Amino acid sequence: MTIYKGKSVSKMGVVEGEALVTKDLIAFWAGTNWETGEIVEIGHEARGKNVTGKILVFPKGKGGAGETFGYYYLARSGKAPQAMVCNSGLGQTVAGALLVNTPMVYGFKEDIVGAINTGDIVRIDTDKGEVEVIKKKGS
Amino acid sequence: MQLNSEQERMLAGKEGRGPQKAMEILTAVGEAQGAEKLVRISYAHLMPPDLMFFPYGRQGKWAHEMTEELTKDIQRLKVPATVEPKFCDLSIAKDLQYPDDAIEEMREIQGAAEEFYERLGVIPTYSAMPFYYYQGKFGAHVSISESIATLWFNTMFGSRCERDDGVKSLAAAITGYVPLEGAHLTENRHAEVVIELGKDLDFNEFNDADWDAFSLAASRKCRDKRPVFLGVPPKIGITDLKHLLAVIAVESGLAIMHIVGVTPEAPTLEASLAGHEPLAKFVIGKAELDEAYRLANTTTASDLDFILMGCPHLTTREFRDLAEVLDGKKIHKDLKLIAVTTKMLLKEAEDMGYVDAIRNAGGIVTSDMCIAFAGTQVTGTIATNSIKAVFFYAGFDAEGTRGVRFGSTKDCAKSALSGKWEGRR
Repeated sequence: MTIYKGKSVSKMGVVEGEALVTKDLIAFWAGTNWETGEIVEIGHEARGKNVTGKILVFPKGKGGAGETFGYYYLARSGKAPQAMVCNSGLGQTVAGALLVNTPMVYGFKEDIVGAINTGDIVRIDTDKGEVEVIKKKGS
Repeated sequence: MQLNSEQERMLAGKEGRGPQKAMEILTAVGEAQGAEKLVRISYAHLMPPDLMFFPYGRQGKWAHEMTEELTKDIQRLKVPATVEPKFCDLSIAKDLQYPDDAIEEMREIQGAAEEFYERLGVIPTYSAMPFYYYQGKFGAHVSISESIATLWFNTMFGSRCERDDGVKSLAAAITGYVPLEGAHLTENRHAEVVIELGKDLDFNEFNDADWDAFSLAASRKCRDKRPVFLGVPPKIGITDLKHLLAVIAVESGLAIMHIVGVTPEAPTLEASLAGHEPLAKFVIGKAELDEAYRLANTTTASDLDFILMGCPHLTTREFRDLAEVLDGKKIHKDLKLIAVTTKMLLKEAEDMGYVDAIRNAGGIVTSDMCIAFAGTQVTGTIATNSIKAVFFYAGFDAEGTRGVRFGSTKDCAKSALSGKWEGRR
């Protein structure tokens, strides 16, 4: 399968997991419930979905000065995604991932949100900054 | 990213774990933002999570642990730094409906944070308007974590800063550097869209709430494009500027905007656009202003439970507006009025007799806290003179548990006496 090459926030080996994909931007401060991991933002395409333990694939983060703390609290509640894959890295999302050691890869030539579907099994090599769909949903 | 030897040394942990973690964050965030190097800063404004962001419950304890990890091995920050308001003045926490156990936790976490930052050398401003304390210099790079202050330093002083979050600005103060990107670079500072006032409106007749509504209407047009405002009277004062900048800062996500004749980089429209054609021109007329008022009034309820003011902190003129209406009268028994400012402006309002007038009427006046965050615990209907605060009180997930009324400072004062909303409906 295709290997997508991006930038890795920090080198943490290889992780594999199930993808949750959304085309909407994600806010971890107020847009996501820190205690449950559920996306709660009104009007969000993935509202009601839970990010916990998922390979969370989204175009980019959004939000203000509290955004990094939002991600930090989510992680400290034990409700963080297993890894994050983004088209581009919002500073706050990158800082949040770095603070709590969530693997994160961003900045691909391709539209990564369009390349992965919810339910796909994804492998991320954080040392090389590579993302690969290893099993399509239903296959 | 290219690093100099001082930055390399910090990244290698030669100055300890705190500076190393801070440098890791700055380089990772800088890479994500496309920065090729870091730039030295001369000042930082901090937004510490254990001081400002809900310093109670599990989140409060975690915030404290995060700060401890980030500041390991640090005796002094590398640059002068001011700091955001504290979450809550504990003596009024009960008025804002916090339970006793939460107040005890605040006492511990917020209290420890206060001591901690002051020991690091942070200037204890406890203000979201640090431009009253630290005057920015033209072209100077700074790191600021507070949306109105970022916008103010770029727009009013011509200093250079991005919308740094609480973690990045702390990392910047620890290391003395930020990534060279965004509004730090000349090519990202010129105006992109033009905003004009409709012929059916006149800036000279605006009250403070009109500036808020105008700002909301403008930010809904310009979105993420840097606007230049035409026709704003050059004599515009700090109170009206506060209202104009506060709303667009939180609504648009912009780091810089231009006001022709006021912004150092915008002596003229041509200078503001720096040779670029505007991407769009927008006119904000009476219809747009009315729509902004409609959006900012999230309820049609008339009976009020709270009047919360001071987001950002009340200025001397706003205290005067309050005092003129309340002087010699009594606030309605079924509502609480809480007015918040900074300790510097509180002293001034005391000297002017405004604080006595408000307190004698039954109002609560205090300083150094964030009424936008701390006010999100109350139930009932709230009135405020700040659209920025409306966003917080109404709730970002818009479940609508709290109705909010928005109007001018004088509208709020009149409503305090009658107990019913006296502003626009």
